Amino acid sequence: MSWPVYLALKQLFPSGRRVPFFTLISVLGVSLGVALMLVTMSVMGGFGHQIKKMIIDTQGEVQVRARMLLDKPEAAAVEKVLAASAAVEAFAPYATGMVMLEYQSRPAFPAVQGFNYEQMKKVVPLDHYLTSGSLDNLDDDSVVLSSLLASSLGVKVGDTLSLYSPLALERAKHNELLLPRDVLVAGIFHVGHQQLDSSTVLCSLRLMQDLYGLEQRVHGYNVRLKPGADEYAAAAALNQNLPAGTRALTWFEANADFQAVLSFERNMIFFLLTFIIIVAAFSITSSLLVTVVRKTREIGLLGAMGGRAQHVAACFCVQGLFIGLAGTAAGLALGFTLLHFRDNLVGLIARMTMGPEAFVKFYQFSSLPAHTLPKDVAMIIIFSVLASTIAGLIPAWRAAKLQPVEALRSE
Amino acid sequence: MSVLQPSSPSVLSAAGLHKTYPSGDRTLAVLSGVDFAIEAGQSVSIRGESGSGKSTLLNILAGLDRPDRGELHWGTETAHQLSLGELTARRGRFLGMVFQSYYLIPELDAFANVLLGARVVGAVGATERTRATALLERVGLAERGHHLPAQLSGGERQRVAVARALMNRPKVILADEPTGNLDERTGDEVIALLLEVCAEENAALVLVTHNPAHAKKTNRQLALKNGQMGHA
Repeated sequence: MSWPVYLALKQLFPSGRRVPFFTLISVLGVSLGVALMLVTMSVMGGFGHQIKKMIIDTQGEVQVRARMLLDKPEAAAVEKVLAASAAVEAFAPYATGMVMLEYQSRPAFPAVQGFNYEQMKKVVPLDHYLTSGSLDNLDDDSVVLSSLLASSLGVKVGDTLSLYSPLALERAKHNELLLPRDVLVAGIFHVGHQQLDSSTVLCSLRLMQDLYGLEQRVHGYNVRLKPGADEYAAAAALNQNLPAGTRALTWFEANADFQAVLSFERNMIFFLLTFIIIVAAFSITSSLLVTVVRKTREIGLLGAMGGRAQHVAACFCVQGLFIGLAGTAAGLALGFTLLHFRDNLVGLIARMTMGPEAFVKFYQFSSLPAHTLPKDVAMIIIFSVLASTIAGLIPAWRAAKLQPVEALRSE
Repeated sequence: MSVLQPSSPSVLSAAGLHKTYPSGDRTLAVLSGVDFAIEAGQSVSIRGESGSGKSTLLNILAGLDRPDRGELHWGTETAHQLSLGELTARRGRFLGMVFQSYYLIPELDAFANVLLGARVVGAVGATERTRATALLERVGLAERGHHLPAQLSGGERQRVAVARALMNRPKVILADEPTGNLDERTGDEVIALLLEVCAEENAALVLVTHNPAHAKKTNRQLALKNGQMGHA
């Protein structure tokens, strides 16, 4: 072991003596920053992971979308490609659009998704999200409403509401009257995603085709892949065989805007949290500068013993590196421990504040999701170790600048 | 040959050393043509009043400071022509230094402090460890090797410093008032030890001291006065 590394280690962790206060504080500063970054990024990742699961659960891993509507021969061609794909487990056609909905003179303008339930249940586990009613009761005269839509209208399972087709406007131009369609509420679902829960209606494919005058045409297909299949590879393979005017999109591509927002939020949070480590790095710089002043004579001694200036500098740089390594290791241990006990901590905070029930009601969760990505851990490690090492550069430069003769003469 | 120089080839020599320091608007001449030489195994004491330039001379001899003029030879090497960096690279093996305030590294135990001399100039192996142990034994601290400086008395710390200075088998030991922080009895013991071990190691000893009794124990006694070197 070279002497700068040896001396740096001994100064930080002297044998036979307590670990110096400076070392403890510096390591603690870095470790708190690392732990906070790890927990925050993991919880953000957890929410992202939940959202991914929710999207896949409601759309499948892949969606085949048509530029225009798919009529029967085109749909058959798409189905042939999907059936032939080794990666595809199941698929279901869908049609989608907007309708006006009215219940007791209260209007709403939700998005409607029509599908064949027998096919769709092999693709997405919609029944997992049903809070009341049953999807088995979904026929051409019934609908399933999202939870927030149902509560805003005051609708319960078994109530009847009116659906107004956009075709009514077209017919009105020709002085024809298209009456609203009365449908029964067969169920209410809640997936935990604001956009879907606030304004979505599920209905049979035939009802949707009737409302929009689609005849037997569809907008696309939701596709469930076999376990372990890579969605990007599967989508790319499908795109090579799908007929012109249709395209297979992964769940990520199909929700690109939303994913971009999530990604931006994650990056912003990471960026903001880096300042905690930067502050810790400044504290390392300050502490090491004090050490340089305190150890001026020892620095002079090392020069008198034949120690080169760059080795003296390395001694302080290495101290920054070791603080970074120790702080990062301690921070990761603390972070993973906090993540392990996160539900206990959330429960404790809930009990101390508004109570667990209110917590679930307002924040929509009783357990905190967490999903730690290896690349996040790698970035945290690299950043914290790098920042701590750079923090040692200024003290190192000051130490290297000291002339041994001046340093030995200092009081 | 000057009376200040030995008759046999010197291991360390200086000729015509001049050194000035700015003092306000004036220039203060600290060394004005100092000649000095010492041969292997010899001991020389340098006395002088405070501010007479003893430490400045020692720093120049050690290659820590540069003279304004003059020559410095480390053995056959013309040290005054080397840069401070080159001097630093050679210093660790050529000479050892002992200071008034010991300057032990507080985080290292006595053994590690002695071994540090070897670490700074190269790798540490079994040979160096054996030598460090032997040196500690020689200075009477065989049982205190694992004690930190804070757990040692002043005399013991200075003994560790002496062992450290000898670690790399230097040709010269420069001791700058090594008994300045010690009581008389301990100081006498340290000087006696220094003289003994330097003789055993065939190292030249340059001892800067205020103490006439300590100075008398060396082979030659010199004095610095008005920037000039003379016999004490």
